[in-house]
Amino acid sequence: MPENSNVTFDLECRQVTKSFGDFTAVDQVSFQIPTGSFFSILGPSGCGKTTLLRMLAGFQHPDKGEILIKGKSVLGTPPNRRPVNMVFQHLALFPTMSVTGNIAYGLKRRNVKREEIRTRVADVLKRVDLPDAGDKRIDQLSGGQKQRIAIARCLVLKPDVLLLDEPLGALDLKLREQMKVELKLLQETFGTTFIYITHDQSEALVMSDQVAVMNQGRFEQVGTPQELYYHPETSFVAGFVGDSNRWEGHIDAIEGERIQIKTVEGESFVGRSIVKHQLKKGDSVEVYVRPESVNIENPKNRSDLPNQCRGEVISVLFDGARSQFLIRLPQTEGEISVAMPQTGEHAQLRKGDSINIAWAADQCLCFRRSSGNHDG
Amino acid sequence: MDKSSYTRFSLWILLLPFVLWLLLLILLPHVDMVSISLRERVSARNYTFSFKNYTEFFIEPLYWRTFVRTAWMSVLATLITLLIAFPVSYYIAKMMRGRLKALLFILCLIPFWVSELVRTYGWMILLRETGLLSTFLQWIGLSDQPVEMLYNDVAIMIGLVYTSMLFMVVPLVTTLDSLDDSLIEAGYDLGGSNWNVLTEIIIPHAMPGIVSGCIVVFMLSLGNYLTPILLGGKDSLWFTEQIFTQFITRFNWEQGSAFGILLLILSSLIVWAGLKLSRQSFTNVMS
Amino acid sequence: MIPTISSSLYFRGTYAVYVGLFFIFLITPLTVVGIFAFNDSMFPSMPWNGGTLAWFLNETEPQLGLFHDEDLLESIGVSFVVACFTTIASLVLATCNAFLFEREQFPGKNLLYILMLTPLVIPGVILGVSILAFSSTIANWAEMQFDYDLEFLRPGITLVVLGQFAFITTIATLVISARLRKFDSSLEEAAMNLGATRIAAVMTVTLPDLKPALIGAGIVCFLMSFENFNTTLMLVGSDAPLTIAMFDRLKEGSTPVLNAVSLLLMVASGVLALISVFFQSEKPGS
Ligand SMILES: Nc1ncnc2c1ncn2[C@@H]1O[C@H](COP(=O)(O)OP(=O)(O)O)[C@@H](O)[C@H]1O
Ligand SMILES: [Mg+2]
Repeated sequence: MPENSNVTFDLECRQVTKSFGDFTAVDQVSFQIPTGSFFSILGPSGCGKTTLLRMLAGFQHPDKGEILIKGKSVLGTPPNRRPVNMVFQHLALFPTMSVTGNIAYGLKRRNVKREEIRTRVADVLKRVDLPDAGDKRIDQLSGGQKQRIAIARCLVLKPDVLLLDEPLGALDLKLREQMKVELKLLQETFGTTFIYITHDQSEALVMSDQVAVMNQGRFEQVGTPQELYYHPETSFVAGFVGDSNRWEGHIDAIEGERIQIKTVEGESFVGRSIVKHQLKKGDSVEVYVRPESVNIENPKNRSDLPNQCRGEVISVLFDGARSQFLIRLPQTEGEISVAMPQTGEHAQLRKGDSINIAWAADQCLCFRRSSGNHDG
Repeated sequence: MDKSSYTRFSLWILLLPFVLWLLLLILLPHVDMVSISLRERVSARNYTFSFKNYTEFFIEPLYWRTFVRTAWMSVLATLITLLIAFPVSYYIAKMMRGRLKALLFILCLIPFWVSELVRTYGWMILLRETGLLSTFLQWIGLSDQPVEMLYNDVAIMIGLVYTSMLFMVVPLVTTLDSLDDSLIEAGYDLGGSNWNVLTEIIIPHAMPGIVSGCIVVFMLSLGNYLTPILLGGKDSLWFTEQIFTQFITRFNWEQGSAFGILLLILSSLIVWAGLKLSRQSFTNVMS
Repeated sequence: MIPTISSSLYFRGTYAVYVGLFFIFLITPLTVVGIFAFNDSMFPSMPWNGGTLAWFLNETEPQLGLFHDEDLLESIGVSFVVACFTTIASLVLATCNAFLFEREQFPGKNLLYILMLTPLVIPGVILGVSILAFSSTIANWAEMQFDYDLEFLRPGITLVVLGQFAFITTIATLVISARLRKFDSSLEEAAMNLGATRIAAVMTVTLPDLKPALIGAGIVCFLMSFENFNTTLMLVGSDAPLTIAMFDRLKEGSTPVLNAVSLLLMVASGVLALISVFFQSEKPGS
């Protein structure tokens, strides 16, 4: 990989690999993070996120590959001298010290002068909006406050990169929603590069500039949240990011980007293939259709979308803005979830009603069938 | 990063003092004791290899009788301690709540905070001819002359049980405390009787505590010197007394070492058998 | 047989009485020892001759009070010195051991751990004689080879300290390990992440967290050393620690001055116990 000296990357990984015995936890991962961005790594539990982060922090040593921070390799640098700081999964605030003690800890290790420590601690406390918390003990803080102190403790050291390991995992739902927004704002005001790992897609999509989707130790796709959502490149990404209906089948015919698919259950769909997959006639494929991209047709005013079905509502799953209809396709007994439009249209539909549904070929994504994982 | 050599370094730093301690204070002294026990003094500073010290043990009835008696009394003391301590531990762990529970538990620990000597001394004051119990018996008219209750096996037994009680109660309370009440409730709910619940739920759960308590109490009784001497008097016939006599009084270290090794073998065997019978592991039970 | 499950009043009553009797059994001997410290008699036995403080304060024989009994006071001093050395040595080694067995991975770890526990199942008398035998072997050998007497390897205070150190270390290791096992090691990683070296992380984060356990273990070590009899008996030289001195007097037939010493010991231990309970319960976050 040639050195690109025009763009500055705060962090760059090249072919980083780490195995525990026979098991490869992180498998040839490469990525680059531009200065000041919010980068998330999204993946299911056990896919190797923490292992990757611990290698960046220096607690684990990659078997192969190279890690560069601001263009310099840090593989020979012990954890206490790396210009990265980490917010731990359970925060790891020191219970034997006060809030000030926690924040001053890193500064003291650098032999910063007393006076300066005091002003910098006060300053960072102000910036995380807890100006009076300095004398409190850690156990006197609420969950959200602990969160902010854990971040302040790192940011006061002005690291090149801040690593966050599922920091919202321990919070309850309401607080989590609120902290998502706060974290994003904190990142913007400090301008520090954040690497944020999570298994919660909504956290990744809301906060990030770039998201890497990780599965079984590999990066499946790196892109903006929109790219991942609308243009997934692998079936895993399609299944993991957002909700999807999924079928298995094979290709009947190909006309340019358009392909004809026959599912195992016997449905015929018209879909779009991802260019890089280079599908051929007869290939086994997986087909994904998002519930919100399926139209519920108005009987009087039918669209000319290529995929048309008639089905019976078998269940109404009400969940506010994420409400769905579960619809059975009578010919094949297959089921499909369809998002309930939030305009109030079709709100009268009940169990047992028959409806027509339709979706565009572009909304019907086909991937070569990967042997193995069927999660999502 | 030079991580591996760094951690190796810290490993050696930590390992060195431990290994020195283990070798110099535990292993080598015992090896030395074995070698001393296997020699016979021919003349001054002149020894030969011999099993004489061991054969002596089997030939002289006083020795092996004392040995068997010590082992037997220790086992008995262990069982009695367990029988007395189990209901009490159960009461503290399961029937009591909150502050009262903590208080009773601390009360159980009190004897630990005073030396074994003081504890034994207390029993001497109680049991001797001019002691409290004797006076009390005369006072209520059960006896018309002073009764000597010291210097017999019962007195030794009382002393042993009393001295080791704590080491039974603490592990028992700890394991019983960790038994979830709802398991007991489920036992009754599914139709178990008191006896069923005790034998099938409570005792199996408390097994590690029972075993570790028994091992410690047994070891303490077997190795006890004070209690048999002070409460049992001249004829207490405790094996540690023989060891002391050989080493300190007669200065026959060869014989004393052989006795020490025999006692060690006995205790290891019984501990091992106890662990096997109860299917517990040593590390599990001891920590 | 738990409060939520009903049982007969008779059963509950009997059970409570049993437990009550148990506690009477537990405290009677100690109470008796304490009370007879104040008996104005030459013997710690009935009859009761009225209360006196003579066994603490009296300056002359035959009723020589504890605070003027040079021999006893000296033996208390010996015990104190022995206990201090034993405690410090045991705590230092036990802390190392705790880190060794909780943090490090090395071949043979399980075997070494079992060997570390063995002093728990070696009778104290035997531990004492084995150390006595071994140290004499070394001392004799040194004398033969170099014609030099290694004084400290002959029965005396040094050997007593070594003997107690041999088994008290194990107990302290168990106490400290238990606490270290609960310690969240990501705190140490956090410290290193914030720029601390490994040693600085242990000093500033781990050891403060272990402090209550260290104090608790220290008190336990001190008391065990102060009260030890079996191992000490085999290794003692001319300076007798308190338990040995008391034992010698007991064999000769005792006066209530022993009750006075015992009472003093009980009070001192009680105070130490309170301190340790205080430090154990002073955990942050509870
Ligand atoms: N120190 C280790 N030794 C052996 N296996 C490990 C170790 N650390 C992690 N693993 C394994 O690596 C995989 C990835 O773990 P981790 O990085 O913690 O996943 P995540 O953070 O994505 O949930 C898991 O299957 C885990 O069991
Ligand atoms: Mg993780």
